[in-house]
Amino acid sequence: MTAAILDGIVLGLQFGILGVGLTIMYGLGGVLNLAYGSMAVVAAVVVSFSMRSGLPAGLAVLLGILTAAGIGLALNLTILKPVYRRQGEARVLLSLILTIGVAFIIDGFLVWRFPIEVLSLSIGGNPVLILGVPMRTGSLLASAITLLTGGALIFFFRATVTGRAVRSVIQDEVGAQLCGVNPATTRTLIFTLSGALVGLVVVMQSMTSPVPISAGFEITILALIVTVVGGLGSIRGAMLAGLILGVVHAMSSFYIGSYITTIILLAAAAFTILLRPSGLFGKHA
Amino acid sequence: MLEISDLSAGYDSKDVVLGVSIDVREGEVVAIIGSNGAGKTTFLKAVCGLLPVSAGEVRYEGRSITDLAIHEIARAGISFVPAGRHLFPEMTVAENLGLGAYPHRPEAGQQSVVFDLFPRLAERRRQAAGTMSGGEQQMLAVGRALMSRPRLLILDEPTAGLAPKLAAQAYESLAALRTQGMTILVAEQQVPLVLSLADRGYVMETGAIQLQGSAAELRDNPTVRRAYLGVA
Repeated sequence: MTAAILDGIVLGLQFGILGVGLTIMYGLGGVLNLAYGSMAVVAAVVVSFSMRSGLPAGLAVLLGILTAAGIGLALNLTILKPVYRRQGEARVLLSLILTIGVAFIIDGFLVWRFPIEVLSLSIGGNPVLILGVPMRTGSLLASAITLLTGGALIFFFRATVTGRAVRSVIQDEVGAQLCGVNPATTRTLIFTLSGALVGLVVVMQSMTSPVPISAGFEITILALIVTVVGGLGSIRGAMLAGLILGVVHAMSSFYIGSYITTIILLAAAAFTILLRPSGLFGKHA
Repeated sequence: MLEISDLSAGYDSKDVVLGVSIDVREGEVVAIIGSNGAGKTTFLKAVCGLLPVSAGEVRYEGRSITDLAIHEIARAGISFVPAGRHLFPEMTVAENLGLGAYPHRPEAGQQSVVFDLFPRLAERRRQAAGTMSGGEQQMLAVGRALMSRPRLLILDEPTAGLAPKLAAQAYESLAALRTQGMTILVAEQQVPLVLSLADRGYVMETGAIQLQGSAAELRDNPTVRRAYLGVA
């Protein structure tokens, strides 16, 4: 029981970061990025290859995260440009279609070139007891990185001038511009950050369980669930939804079995939407 | 300080503002008066970059700002308070003010200038902007605009939706800013109120300037008296 909750919190923090990465893109650019998970898998492949070619693990991970960040940056500067020229529903729809196309291209290429690639970062060492529960070194390290990242994100969005400017664009783009904030620069920064976050999450997941080449779609769906439950565009909503869903996920795999957890997560999401159509912290709740 | 010549602007290639020329000199308070739908809002939005300019030029301190983006105009030293206010509803009063100083960190000195002007904001500094009353939101919008220490303040209908007493208070605050030397351009339907503050004014109807003169001249003008001051 304690083990399931501890697992759930660690997982939940990862879900939260996953959700934040997707929700800030939506909040800023009106872009729902369906290539999100595919970007993560590219990062995983880069890490796996770099390590096999002899690079130290830390450097390989950095390279993987930078690659995912680079894809986010490149998408923002190329195919998403026409998206920003549209408003409202047209903007969201066009972003869905374009990013799903990108996802197909990335996934297809990966399956074609690296059909059996798996990223698994196994970290040695004996299990450590936490609250009487033996935890593997890998998941402890992943938790530590997750906590640090979560803390850094909260600090960035609440306490730095740039982070506040990002939130201002999400809440009122014209208001932000009137204060001198350039939304295009902010978008570029955030899309790069979004890529880095999903790259980081996939690396952390690979510390506890292997990430296969086909994981992209699943990661995207998971991020979407977290984002929708938290409220599209809400950073704290994504964090909270991630935590809740992480605990739900761990409890249901502990008591029921992992085969059914995705269904339970989807049910939790559907339930939230029925009760609160715009999510926990939706803009128009 | 601000020279606007033959400016035309509108929506979807249909111009609502047709060749308007006005100028604002340093230290002046200039009013644009006119009825609803006269084109005042469209005009100010075009000047501040919220709408594209289809013809004409806007010059600020000698350089053309006609084609600059909203944030570039803001950083040049012009603060615009639109009628819609565009506050950040989920942020506190203090956070909203802080963003007004972007890209710099807010200065404590400038924040206390704002709090002196609007003591109400100091009492509510931890409150989310979206939960405040219309009058308080208007104070916050002006306060946020002042945080960047602008050289020119442009306001669109600062009394829109305010009860008469609050509207009068809003103009008392603007009068206090004026004594501090702020240059102000304000569009307003509440003509008696704005003419009590302004040095000069322009009357805009159907997208063009119909009359201009000192505030006293406008107050005594028979057309203005009939149309806007309710005097037969």
